[in-house]
Amino acid sequence: MSTTTSAVRSHAEAVQVSRMVDYLGLFILFFVLTGSYHIHGMLTMGDWDFWADWKDRRLWVTVYPIVMITFPAAVQAVIWERLRLPWGATVCILGILFGEWVNRYFNFWMWTYFPINFVFPTAAVHMAIFLDVVLMLSGSYLFTAVIGGLGWGLLLYPGNWPVVGPLHVPVEYNGMLMSIADIQGYHYVRTGTPEYIRMVEKGTLRTFGKDVAPVSAFFSGFMSILIYFMWHFVGRWFGNVRFVKRT
Amino acid sequence: MKARTDRVGRWSLVGALIALVAAVAYGPAALAHGEKSQAAFLRMRTIHWFDLSWSTDQLNVNDEMEIKGKFHVFEGWPEAVDPPEVSFLNIGIPGPTFIRKESYIGDKFVPRSARLEIGKTYTFRVVLKARRPGEWHVHPMINVEGGGPIIGPGKWVTVNGSMRDFKNPVTTLTGQTVDLETYNEGNIWFWHVLWYAIGVAWIAYFARNPIFIPRLLMVNAGRADELITPTDKKVGLLFGAATILLVIFGYSSTQSKYPVTIPLQAGVLRGITPIELPKPTVDVKVDEATYRVPGRAMKMKLTVTNRGDRPVQLCEFETASVRFMNPEVCEDETGYPEDLLAEEGLSVTGGAVAPGETKTLEVVASDAAWEVYRLSDIIYDPDSRFGGLFFFYDDAGNRQMVIVDAPLIPTFM
Amino acid sequence: MAATTSVVGVAEAPLLDKRWLAFAFGIYTVFYLWVRWYEGVYGWSAGLDAFAPEFEKYWMNFLYTEIVLEVTTASLLWGYLWRTRDRNLDALAPREELRRNMTHLIWLVAYAWAIYWGASYFTEQDGTWHQTIVRDTDFTPSHIIEFYLSYPIYIITGYAAMIYAHTRLPYFDYRKKGLSLPYLITVVGPFMILPNVGLNEWGHTFWFMEELFVAPLHYGFVFFGWFALSILGLLLQVFASFANLMGRELCGESVYRGGDAATWPE
Repeated sequence: MSTTTSAVRSHAEAVQVSRMVDYLGLFILFFVLTGSYHIHGMLTMGDWDFWADWKDRRLWVTVYPIVMITFPAAVQAVIWERLRLPWGATVCILGILFGEWVNRYFNFWMWTYFPINFVFPTAAVHMAIFLDVVLMLSGSYLFTAVIGGLGWGLLLYPGNWPVVGPLHVPVEYNGMLMSIADIQGYHYVRTGTPEYIRMVEKGTLRTFGKDVAPVSAFFSGFMSILIYFMWHFVGRWFGNVRFVKRT
Repeated sequence: MKARTDRVGRWSLVGALIALVAAVAYGPAALAHGEKSQAAFLRMRTIHWFDLSWSTDQLNVNDEMEIKGKFHVFEGWPEAVDPPEVSFLNIGIPGPTFIRKESYIGDKFVPRSARLEIGKTYTFRVVLKARRPGEWHVHPMINVEGGGPIIGPGKWVTVNGSMRDFKNPVTTLTGQTVDLETYNEGNIWFWHVLWYAIGVAWIAYFARNPIFIPRLLMVNAGRADELITPTDKKVGLLFGAATILLVIFGYSSTQSKYPVTIPLQAGVLRGITPIELPKPTVDVKVDEATYRVPGRAMKMKLTVTNRGDRPVQLCEFETASVRFMNPEVCEDETGYPEDLLAEEGLSVTGGAVAPGETKTLEVVASDAAWEVYRLSDIIYDPDSRFGGLFFFYDDAGNRQMVIVDAPLIPTFM
Repeated sequence: MAATTSVVGVAEAPLLDKRWLAFAFGIYTVFYLWVRWYEGVYGWSAGLDAFAPEFEKYWMNFLYTEIVLEVTTASLLWGYLWRTRDRNLDALAPREELRRNMTHLIWLVAYAWAIYWGASYFTEQDGTWHQTIVRDTDFTPSHIIEFYLSYPIYIITGYAAMIYAHTRLPYFDYRKKGLSLPYLITVVGPFMILPNVGLNEWGHTFWFMEELFVAPLHYGFVFFGWFALSILGLLLQVFASFANLMGRELCGESVYRGGDAATWPE
């Protein structure tokens, strides 16, 4: 049927149709990924991402990369292998950041009136580009998992420090030492979110003194390597193109 | 046809944007805070708020108000709620319509969670600063880990002015004074927009060429390697190197601009001191307590023994923030929220109890608040005991607080 | 270049009907902006106390109405797409098949856009709401929008897209090939998020109501959200369907030799 006669009248028209497919396909990929990555992200690392007074040097640094390397690994597994496109991680991160920023601005700020400087999301484009560039230059998933995954974990904290650092300046507040982020959390009342559900470092990594963030990032990088491996196969499975006769 | 479609589309968009702006600019009056949803036995047997006062119920943006009072952590704490070992003195308002400037349990500043003891009574004080205009229901509230929010009585407070005028200055230990409303915001936008643009540029670079179908066919034909050109690799290297350099630059410039930073502060505050109330000289035994469903009234038969040296009279029964007052003995002068105050809600048969006397009092607490606040639902709860506070006054005006915790039987006739 | 044998007249219609594309994009956008306006006004003024009469008026009635409309829309739309299915796909002219492939992309654009609003916008917005107020009913205003409006809308759209593909495109011809597994996963996985609300509400009434978003209670949503990753496999199939129609014209004989371009190499 369709292979015997042609649907397009010229190579030029074929190119034109192909471009339309590109743009629509990009829209579809971007927004489906935005939806599913965002729901995954907000329910596995969301609280750290919502609030400045959760962005600590231990648990945020640990949790975010580990749970967030999943989708980039899965998307890379398909679009690099089948299309040789080196932006699987970047498209995921741009998607979730789009979803987060729209919500932070139109809802956290314009519906419930939390200041933006308290509810900004985690920056991660730098991690994604690193992961994509490693895959493109090495052409190896193994190398990407080990080097890319490790870098993914290590880069979170320094890449976010320009945004988060100013909020860690100390303040003496009513006789207590608090960071600006702590004061934000105290001032801007969250009726449904009491202070105790906040999961941040409580000084239990005593042995390493001030090196909490690097140790956490290193552990996170290690876990990211393992999760990258697993999710590579998850991605391949979701890239299957089978038909089923019976459901 | 097309022009019409375009026009419709354009006007729809304009309409939607106007609607959005209208929604955002809307100055609302917000309702109560869901306190009615919680099972009555939980509200009656956890935290009892009393002696509350609100410094004002009318203020302008940037003005401060104070809520203070006492709460008693009920002895008959229900099994359904974890003990208040980790508790947070919160405030029930619809989002940050106020900011919380200070909060104290006893004289201890409690920006973090604290440990409370069952059976003890504490004073508290919260200072709020008005931020957003509107009419807001403001409640004191205790959140208990493993238990959830336990909401105190709410009072309507009106805030006038404009949120644009709100200022929230804080002075750091490094000597700067910053406004928390906007501090660091430009910096956040700068870095996020920059990184996002870099991410878009990375994809756009590859989207110049065909993205999907031709690449799929080339890969299938075994010519995947041709799809990444040496130029692509150079561009990739450039993006990779620029990313690392930008991260290093951003980190080190922040370090030099903000050399003094501290980790987030956390940890439960202990050593919260309760107040010592004088031991009551009145003993109350509940012989019978029934709730009459059609009459919205609770009837109690109490055996009261007065071991003191002055006659006492029952003035008030408080449960789940609803105050049933006996107008023959006392009245509220604190401006307690009207919907929670049954000014003539308590009738007591039996009168005063003389020193040394043991007497049976028949007490009826009736008010629409039983229904409105869904306290009558206690008869459908899985643990149908009620709890509350009795306040007795002697003839010299001295008050005694007696705690009551007993089963409740419904009557439907 | 092969001669066009498609029906004269049909060939006059554009391959991609941009009006339908604009409609698909616009209808969700305008509708959801209106919904956001409604939330902005009636969330604070009538949505905080589930036992107030105004809550019943503005929110419960909204819920009842939307459920009726959703069931009606789903029945009519799915019914229409099924009843008007192409019963003779073998006779389909390639040009028309290409046109249908473009229309199918519009369906997927609609699905993607609906998924964005449901899974991203309104789901995180629900977090905004819960962290700000005290949960006092299963049907908070944000749930009435998120769970019972935005999720059914993407479910309706997703199944409609799937019915369209399987009944009108030879590549997805259900009689010859059965059902596309990635399609099934892309649509049924996110659909399962809706029944998972049952777990969510049970847990919240059981374990009380602190608003920790990363609580394990919510992992059901996460698990079913993953299934949308099957868009990867589905897009490969979509591209293969296009390649069947114009692979040679696009890339030449040396690159495209026929066969199902979506298939993974062994």
